[in-house]
Amino acid sequence: MILASHPEGEAMSKIKIATDWLGGCSGCHMSLLDIDERLLNLLELVELTSSPITDLKQPPEEGVTAGILEGAVNTTVNIETAKRMRERSQYLIALGDCAVFGGIVTMRNAFSLTELLERAYVDAESVVEGKVPESKELGKLIHRACPVNQIVDVDVYLPGCPPPADAIHHALSELLEGRMPAMTGDHLRYD
Amino acid sequence: MSDVNITINGHPAQVPDGITILEAAKRLGVEIPTLCHHPALQDIGACRLCVVEVSGRREVQPACVFPVSDKLVIQTETPKTAAMRRFALEMLFSERSHYCMYCEMSGDCELQSLAYRYGLDRSAYPVPHEHLPVDATRQYFIMDHNRCILCRRCIRACGELAGNFTLGLKARGAKTIISADMDAPLGESSCVACGTCLQVCPTGALIDIKSVYGGRDFQVSRVKSSCSRCSVGCAIDVVTRSERALRVEGDWEGSNRGILCVSGRFESLNDPRERLTSPMVRERGELAPVSWEKAMDAAVDLIRSAGSGGLAARITGGATDETLDEFLRLFRDRLGITPDAAEAPFAAADLPDSASLADFDDADCILIVGADPLKSHRVAGYRIRMAQRRGAMLLIASDLDDSSNGFRKTGLARTSVEDGIRACLESEKPIVVVGAKANRTETRRLTALESHAQFLLLDSAANGAYLRRLGMRNSKNGAGKKTAYLLLSEASQDGAMAKASNGVQSLILHASYAGPLTERADVALPAPLGFESEGHFTNCEGERVRINRAVPPPEGMMSEREVLSHLASRL
Repeated sequence: MILASHPEGEAMSKIKIATDWLGGCSGCHMSLLDIDERLLNLLELVELTSSPITDLKQPPEEGVTAGILEGAVNTTVNIETAKRMRERSQYLIALGDCAVFGGIVTMRNAFSLTELLERAYVDAESVVEGKVPESKELGKLIHRACPVNQIVDVDVYLPGCPPPADAIHHALSELLEGRMPAMTGDHLRYD
Repeated sequence: MSDVNITINGHPAQVPDGITILEAAKRLGVEIPTLCHHPALQDIGACRLCVVEVSGRREVQPACVFPVSDKLVIQTETPKTAAMRRFALEMLFSERSHYCMYCEMSGDCELQSLAYRYGLDRSAYPVPHEHLPVDATRQYFIMDHNRCILCRRCIRACGELAGNFTLGLKARGAKTIISADMDAPLGESSCVACGTCLQVCPTGALIDIKSVYGGRDFQVSRVKSSCSRCSVGCAIDVVTRSERALRVEGDWEGSNRGILCVSGRFESLNDPRERLTSPMVRERGELAPVSWEKAMDAAVDLIRSAGSGGLAARITGGATDETLDEFLRLFRDRLGITPDAAEAPFAAADLPDSASLADFDDADCILIVGADPLKSHRVAGYRIRMAQRRGAMLLIASDLDDSSNGFRKTGLARTSVEDGIRACLESEKPIVVVGAKANRTETRRLTALESHAQFLLLDSAANGAYLRRLGMRNSKNGAGKKTAYLLLSEASQDGAMAKASNGVQSLILHASYAGPLTERADVALPAPLGFESEGHFTNCEGERVRINRAVPPPEGMMSEREVLSHLASRL
């Protein structure tokens, strides 16, 4: 459980954190940046190995202490990303309502995939001569979007749309202190 | 009822025998979480959020329906109750869509607040994917079954409070769904759109269209006032934000007990008519906006040139006591004419007005004469329906054809006034409900019940009781006059009202809305709406109720009283 021990005066080795996003809007990552100047203190203790907002996108093979996932599992690529992050993380954090509960992404579950894609790429009022994209680089939509814990085990749940920056800061600080974070009070939000 | 000794969370206490654990806890200041419970409704123990540990019972028990008895030991907060409550919440979240981020109620939702309290930070079960219908067949509100937790508050409000019994349940188990008239869209059902269900819904399943996303409880203000759409004068809370009226809610403390009708709750804020916003004077055939100064000069000229012999003055009974007084000061005291009431005459002037809505709780016979409360005084109508449901005899007596009467439509046959009076005389606590359609013969016959029955007089105007007190009639004094001053406030300008000003050469119209009469007016003076005004009126219970200003009137608006007193100072 103890992630970092730092006796007085001793140079502390940084713990490694990686983030990635699945079917999300990147708002949770914005909230991560909203930690503001406290980020500087945090980065004294934490090494951000990889994230969608840094040069390196994938978590290192040797693994990280905490992996953070934003977004619901929505495509086959999301499944791959979620499984990779799980394999390479000691603790997996589901960040935001979509990762935790499925959230707004699961609104699509009420419709069939055909209905959904036709509506978005062909029938939408703003579309002219639309076509459903088929590139191999895109993942395939899975039958139903779901929260991360329906695909891989999750250790820490951080709901919110987006989670308050304070809650993210609290969760990381708790991990640094060697405690499993639990969201209560103002840190627990669903909107 | 005798007291019993109980122990709650280790503290001994004495409470009346047989009250529920929830009620006992409330009296002792012990808070127990609830969800399907609502103070205005009968408890049904459906949601299992109020479960507590009780001596002698192996399993937790719902506090809202479990009666206390002597020596009962109750624990309201234990690891077991917390686990059971959390479990109940997890089950609620395992069905339908309870995603807060796109829900109108987020922030004021009772389900959300309980989930926060019990720390639900994940889905305990696979997320549901069924999509249920959204019923948008009602003009002023939407029912989204996807947000519904089947607490049945709406069903109880519909039946127990409004006496309407439109809402019920359809299907069983996980397929259960709230349903109107067995299975009809709300807009095609027997729903009367009173909106009581909106006011009790704990989640975002029932949504008021006008105020949707308009502001959370902590962002809005509530102004206590009275509804002036009819003479029931329901106590209301006008919910406002940034000087805009968002919605109207019934005041649970009022004699209307929180219930309103479609007119008071919705139509009052959704009037499609065009507002009069500026004083106007007709020049070269066209009404043109002018300053107050100029409009009043024009009005004064018309009044002067008519002289008291050629002047008629007519005022709606929807006006406040204060406006009516000012109107009489100007036209009766200063100009020496007899002002008229704009609404239909009331022939029951000499009957006592002694009944209150609360009296219907134990009335055993209700006689309705010349009134159609389910249409014109709906909240009184709902109360009568509840009394009928409880077992009170309900009689509709009329010499006229009244087949369109709301109660007749429920299958009630018409009786003669004589039979009605006889039934009242044979009853212990009869109430006679008299409306403006009762004729003189009928009201004269009803005086036979003066010492035996209570009377509820339903005037056609909100302040009809004060009109009667002032002795004002709708006596067509205006016929054949040169000039008429018509103070209509928000009253309708069609039909009878337009006819009343037929034949006058010039018309001064003082009203909130444009309408057929603006076409004929020579001077038009704008009036603020009820929500923008202050004053009092006397309701059908004889209570003098207060109207408070909830939002400011548009720029440049003058209150009706100010206008009248300005005119008086010029004449």
